[in-house]
Amino acid sequence: MQLPPVPTAQVSKRATTLNRPRVGVVKFASCDGCQLTILDLEDELLALTERFEFVEFAEATSRRSSGPFDVLFVEGSISSPEQAVEIARLRAATKTLVTIGACATAGGIQALRTASEHEAFRAAVYPAPAFVESLAVASPISSYVTVDAELRGCPIDAHQLVELLTAVTTGRRPQLPDQAVCLECKRRGLECVVVTRGEPCLGPVTQTGCGAICPGIGRGCYGCFGPREGANVDGLASWFVDGPALGGLKREDVGRLFAGFTGAAQPFRAVTDRLGGRPQIPLRPATAHGPEHSEHTPPVWGTRPEDPDARR
Amino acid sequence: MVIENRWPVMAGARFLPVGRLDDLIGALHADGRRVVGPVVEDGGIKMAEIERAAELPFGWTASAAPGLVRLSRRPANDRAAGRAFDNGPAWSGIKPWTFPSRVDALTVETREDGSLGVRVEAPANQPTAVIGARACDLAALAVHDRVLAGGPAIDPDYAARRADLLVVAVECALATSTCFCTSMGTGPEVTTGADVVLAEVDGGFVARSDSPAGERLLAGLDLAEAGPLRVGAAIEQVTKVRDAMGHAVEAEGLHDRLLANLDSPRWEAIAERCLACANCTLVCPTCFCTGTVIESDLDGRESSATRQWDSCFTAGFAQVAGGGSFRPHHADRYRQWLTHKFATWWDQFGSSGCVGCGRCIAWCPVGIDVREELAAIAGPAITDLPAAAPATTPAAAPIAVKGTRILAMAPTALQPGSIRTDYVTATVTEVRPETADTATLRLVTGDAALLAARPGQFVMVAVPAFAIPPISISRINPDGLELTIRAAGPATSFMTRLRPGAELALRGPLGRPWPIEDAYGRDVAIVAGGIGLAPLRGLLDQVLAERDRFSSIRVYLGARTPRDRLFVAEMDALAAGGLDIRATVDRAGPEWLGRVGIITDIFRNAKATGQNVTAFVCGPERMMTAVVDVLGDLDVPREHTWLTLERRMECGVGLCGHCQLGSRFVCRDGPVFSVAELGDDLRREGL
Repeated sequence: MQLPPVPTAQVSKRATTLNRPRVGVVKFASCDGCQLTILDLEDELLALTERFEFVEFAEATSRRSSGPFDVLFVEGSISSPEQAVEIARLRAATKTLVTIGACATAGGIQALRTASEHEAFRAAVYPAPAFVESLAVASPISSYVTVDAELRGCPIDAHQLVELLTAVTTGRRPQLPDQAVCLECKRRGLECVVVTRGEPCLGPVTQTGCGAICPGIGRGCYGCFGPREGANVDGLASWFVDGPALGGLKREDVGRLFAGFTGAAQPFRAVTDRLGGRPQIPLRPATAHGPEHSEHTPPVWGTRPEDPDARR
Repeated sequence: MVIENRWPVMAGARFLPVGRLDDLIGALHADGRRVVGPVVEDGGIKMAEIERAAELPFGWTASAAPGLVRLSRRPANDRAAGRAFDNGPAWSGIKPWTFPSRVDALTVETREDGSLGVRVEAPANQPTAVIGARACDLAALAVHDRVLAGGPAIDPDYAARRADLLVVAVECALATSTCFCTSMGTGPEVTTGADVVLAEVDGGFVARSDSPAGERLLAGLDLAEAGPLRVGAAIEQVTKVRDAMGHAVEAEGLHDRLLANLDSPRWEAIAERCLACANCTLVCPTCFCTGTVIESDLDGRESSATRQWDSCFTAGFAQVAGGGSFRPHHADRYRQWLTHKFATWWDQFGSSGCVGCGRCIAWCPVGIDVREELAAIAGPAITDLPAAAPATTPAAAPIAVKGTRILAMAPTALQPGSIRTDYVTATVTEVRPETADTATLRLVTGDAALLAARPGQFVMVAVPAFAIPPISISRINPDGLELTIRAAGPATSFMTRLRPGAELALRGPLGRPWPIEDAYGRDVAIVAGGIGLAPLRGLLDQVLAERDRFSSIRVYLGARTPRDRLFVAEMDALAAGGLDIRATVDRAGPEWLGRVGIITDIFRNAKATGQNVTAFVCGPERMMTAVVDVLGDLDVPREHTWLTLERRMECGVGLCGHCQLGSRFVCRDGPVFSVAELGDDLRREGL
């Protein structure tokens, strides 16, 4: 991942309001949690606003801007036709585009519909789905435009965001490790929940950055930072299914473990395809307006023509 | 050598009633120490700071299998229900207390006046006493003593913690199924390294002191003699543990058997199971590899480097500037770990890197058993040996006992502590652009060690906010050094844009220089590709200064395009002065009247035999291997062909582990090696 320094890196010693990089924070299909994480940086916010001009940040200010942006943080996945148009426009107006969160980097929880019957989902969620325009897939930003850097997680880790902005001001590469969560878990002196409790944990195949939050409270990682470099998902899934430590989980239960916030990202997605555990419709009792139509054989992930990943 | 049980020889073993453990802890506290002991936490037993004996895992027992650890309470009627240590080694070991997962290492700041402040962080340590260390923990401590405090570079943080450590060891009363210390010759009997040794028996502990500090501790408690019955029970107990373990790994000859199987198909097979999650390395009590994390303020004026546990199982571990990793596949990484632990560790430190504690087996989340892998890769273990089979202790065994093949390393000044680990500042007096992305910085320093640098050596260069890259020295001046830097990443880009007056922090000079004396009386061939001319320029300076010592001197220069050539005016001047310099470029424009073609083409037409040639080669690794082939065809002896290798170097002094190539630390044992020294390793993928 290359993150080109913004021009102000050269004059970073004495920043003035005149040469502050223009930063935007925008959202697509998402819960705003990552934006709130930025606002949670209470100790750093003042320093950040001194160094950066936040020209667009809907959760923080009524001020709006359509660009241009030196740095644009993009939250959310592309889930509707107009979003697909908007992201292309934003990309053209941006020097360094950074996706933030599981939705923007991997599609997010809403990408689960990619695996199932779109219309059935719509019908299950909205009383009048005819009024809702949505794509059959929810896709990461990188399926549509070039992304310069990714901050993973649901939500993102605030320290990684500060590290990224520091890297922008100093002109260095942000330190966003691609290692497994396990490294952070062991540095913290935590015991392995797989080994001591038979708790399924995706830490070994998930990118670190969260600080091993879930193992720290005795539960397994559910992969919200998405697949790490060289994730050996088959090795882990086979152990969950066949190994003695977990007492033999059902195949579809193991597949379901991988079908979470980053479940649409490969190679997590391939595990669910192979072992089962795709989300089923109905998610809840049907509403007054039933499905407008239904496909009886929902496609395997990645085979829909609308799915940008399938075209790669 | 048979591990001896030392209880019979210890006259005057004392008895510490279980109710007086708190007196022992109190005495340690009174000595100003924090006390660390095993506690039950989240389904495992780990070492943690304790205040009272009641926090110890009384009544707990443990079972361990590959990837599976379970604690359970002993039933009240169990004879061992009142025991604190009858539950195997704590999973964390004592490493977090002697070699913590994170340590502040270095602070670099730009002061108000523009000068650079550099501070190597002083170890902040509280004297510590560990209760409940096992034989495997002590063996691991002895290994770390060699690795971190016995080599040419000494880790100041470890050395400080170690000096203040007092160990109250406990004899194991339980072997879990993952234990194999008997195979590695490290236990279960505690032999050396403890201040006090306890053996838990009914009602308390048989205690002996093993150091003056330990003797003072026990004497202060005013204990009664243990008596022969209790001593007998202690001996019987640990002997049972030994018998229970059997002989799972055949350590004899393992070094050679493993290294003979670097191409085993088993590496690929295990890579299908191995997650490369690094758990094995982080629970290993001897693994010592670390990475550096740089944190800075938003302005980049001040930054701190933190050293943290890293692992050879990550992709970044063997990555170099430009992004490529030397070990891209899980199979490469597993092979690195296993061969280092059980084989090349011997070459580096004169001991095995494995103490047989079995933590890597129990704490592998997919239950990979290193004993099985060793048997499959290095040949089957002999399982029917009697329990008292000959075993060697890593601390005591001379290397020759293992039949170890030691690689022919040229002796460098590697006395303990001989490599400096501090940083000094130097001032940039001139920045000379060489190419579009390369500049030469002229530095002035008064530091005597830097001024005594030799061609081929390098320095670690720190500036605020950036990673700390290794940079080769391109010239040694009477008042300082020159560094020729290509903007390969953000840190080096920043450095090439510095202005005169800027300051840099340098650690060095580091590494083994070009062995110029090897070329005395011989024909010198200097072969450089691209930026590879930088470390050779200082050598050329010296060769020319001692011109009469050499028979002939030829310089071969390759570059991608004419514009990528370094030191052009200097080389032209030397050529005009009669030096035989032959340059070639891969691609040329109309302005280039010289030779076009890859560098090896220059040699193709050479008629003379190369027997009397000493060659010094530096460039991209693929260029160097191609040059080595051609030099070989010309009969240039392998032991007279010298290369300088690029690997990831984070510390530069042989402590962080990143730059290993087989048994070598490229930073410390190299970066200059002869082709004969490198052997097959030069071309082996994934090493």
